[in-house]
Amino acid sequence: MTTANDHRSDAATRGPGAEETELPRSTFRRPRLGLLEAIIGVVVLAVVITGAMTDRFFSLDNARAILAAAASVGITAIGASLIMIVGSAVSLAIAQTATVAAMVFLFTEHFGLGVAILLTVLAGLGMTAIQGAAVGYWSANPIVLTIASGFALGGLATWISGGSTVYPKSTNYSALNATPLGLPVAVYVLVGIALVVEWILRRTTSGRQMYLIGENAAAARAAGLPVGRVTVIAWALFGVCIAVTAVFLAAFNTSATSSLGGTLTLDATAAVLAGGTAIGGGRGSALRTLGGAVLIALISDLLLLRGFSTGQQLLVKGLLVLFVVIAVHLSSRKVRR
Amino acid sequence: MRQFLARPERLVPGVALLVVVLVFIFAPLATGDDLTKFDIYNALQGFAPLGLLTLGLGITMIAGEFDLSVVGTYALGGMLAVQTGQSSALLGVAVAVAVGALVGAVQGGLIARLKIPSLPVTLSTYIALLGLTSALSGGLSKTYTNPAATLWVDKAVGVVFSPRSLITLAAFAVAALVLGFTKIGRQLRAIGGDRRASRVAGVRVDRNLVGLFTVSGALAALGGALLSYSYASANPDPGLQPLVLAAVAALLGGVSLTGGRGLALGLLAGALSVALLAQVAAIISLPDYTTQLLYALLLVVVVGIDAPGLRQAVERALARLRAGAR
Repeated sequence: MTTANDHRSDAATRGPGAEETELPRSTFRRPRLGLLEAIIGVVVLAVVITGAMTDRFFSLDNARAILAAAASVGITAIGASLIMIVGSAVSLAIAQTATVAAMVFLFTEHFGLGVAILLTVLAGLGMTAIQGAAVGYWSANPIVLTIASGFALGGLATWISGGSTVYPKSTNYSALNATPLGLPVAVYVLVGIALVVEWILRRTTSGRQMYLIGENAAAARAAGLPVGRVTVIAWALFGVCIAVTAVFLAAFNTSATSSLGGTLTLDATAAVLAGGTAIGGGRGSALRTLGGAVLIALISDLLLLRGFSTGQQLLVKGLLVLFVVIAVHLSSRKVRR
Repeated sequence: MRQFLARPERLVPGVALLVVVLVFIFAPLATGDDLTKFDIYNALQGFAPLGLLTLGLGITMIAGEFDLSVVGTYALGGMLAVQTGQSSALLGVAVAVAVGALVGAVQGGLIARLKIPSLPVTLSTYIALLGLTSALSGGLSKTYTNPAATLWVDKAVGVVFSPRSLITLAAFAVAALVLGFTKIGRQLRAIGGDRRASRVAGVRVDRNLVGLFTVSGALAALGGALLSYSYASANPDPGLQPLVLAAVAALLGGVSLTGGRGLALGLLAGALSVALLAQVAAIISLPDYTTQLLYALLLVVVVGIDAPGLRQAVERALARLRAGAR
């Protein structure tokens, strides 16, 4: 069965719509992001000005609320930027993975907090590393694969919970809801994870190879880079990030149903895109994603304070992400020419 | 016959439909319930909205794109039809389809002219459309108070059909004719297969893409409009489930996510398979998670068929076996 598909194995790993690499892209030339920075600058300026005119926007309580909102999405989004950088585009199974991980946490929580977190992280890592192996070693299409995993994990979540709510046997988790120095624990973890992932991307061999593989998987393979292994590492770290989010989700809700993950899939992907990571892979950073998550939280909060409905907030969020996507694309194309 | 089935765009939907039809016929025997005409009617009712979404998503996948926003247009279409069609059902559908086509045309324009990958564009449009729908309705479900239209769309025609499922079947018939007998079908597959080459060969890629997304938006809005007439209410957030099922149907229909492959009749077979499967699950009252695991299994097979790395590994293993035997 030699079809026309065989020579497109590179395109297959990049996900749909990304096939059209018109010219060979140069690696490691930092693209100038003039347009993107201009748009973000205008948005931030607009937020500051309307914020100044909004009652209670510039207050300590509100800053805390924004950071807490950013943490709930940001930790997962940082993980999701890793798989986007390595060229696996997006995962459509984030919410289901988080739900299963949260259930693992609540089931094991009475063994002690440390043990439970460790087991949850291992569960999250396992769930995504398998998918990473299929993408990295076999060039499986990440979109189809993660839709399949979403079904499998959603089924698993309903099955292990018997379709009802999972309650913890003890209250060991309450330490996670503490607010040292007035900020939720999750915010400190968010900053910590952002710094660690940024360090991995910039200073470790695997991290730097992620960019190369995302740029051009076929070339990376030809150059002898361990494409499969590095892809698995990126996905495994992604799973760790989802598991950490799930631990906080479970602790915050003190129970889990099969719909606990909610809209995490879309929210995290939107934050990654708003941070200016290119869907085709090879570009992006943990700190930029952190910025994207904070920006979305900031704007949602501002719109909420000014009395806009949830629908209007979503509309603005979608348009913001669309503008950033267009700006990132245009600025990267200019460099390539 | 063997040659006819050798191509994945015929083999995958053929096998999928065959398996599901067999399950559909034998599952009631196993549980002792009889298969009634009503079950077929119900399966086709489920097929009606799913089929339109599958067709919209599927034709963009043939051209190598992925229109995630169809489920947003679907929600918006349903809401617009309910809000503008209270007195005249036809007007509601017309508004919904026109807006859906407009949304699709704008996205197609962005994707074609700026050469942006469709996934991030349609993902952000999906979020925006969901927001718009929710803003239009104040975040609440809207009731449709035109019982004549509600009764009409679900009226039984020829025992197992309804106007809703017939409209969907008609859309597939038109798509099969256009894709099979005009140059548009070949051009779409060419665009999906190798875009640069098709541009060089004189295919008007940009115009085709804009048209494609316009049609996909219109189909999704039509599906949403008819569904909300049938339910007599519009839901501002259908979730990702309709999109995921449409993607499953398109993939079972033999479309490849890398583009360049797919037939309208394959998409029809894929959508029918998913709708029949859902109805079987309802008849023998399978627990929800078994259907989910079944979909996962089906998709894993599809992933396996489409994974170049896996295919190479299998071919290498076979070659080793053959060399060893010699």
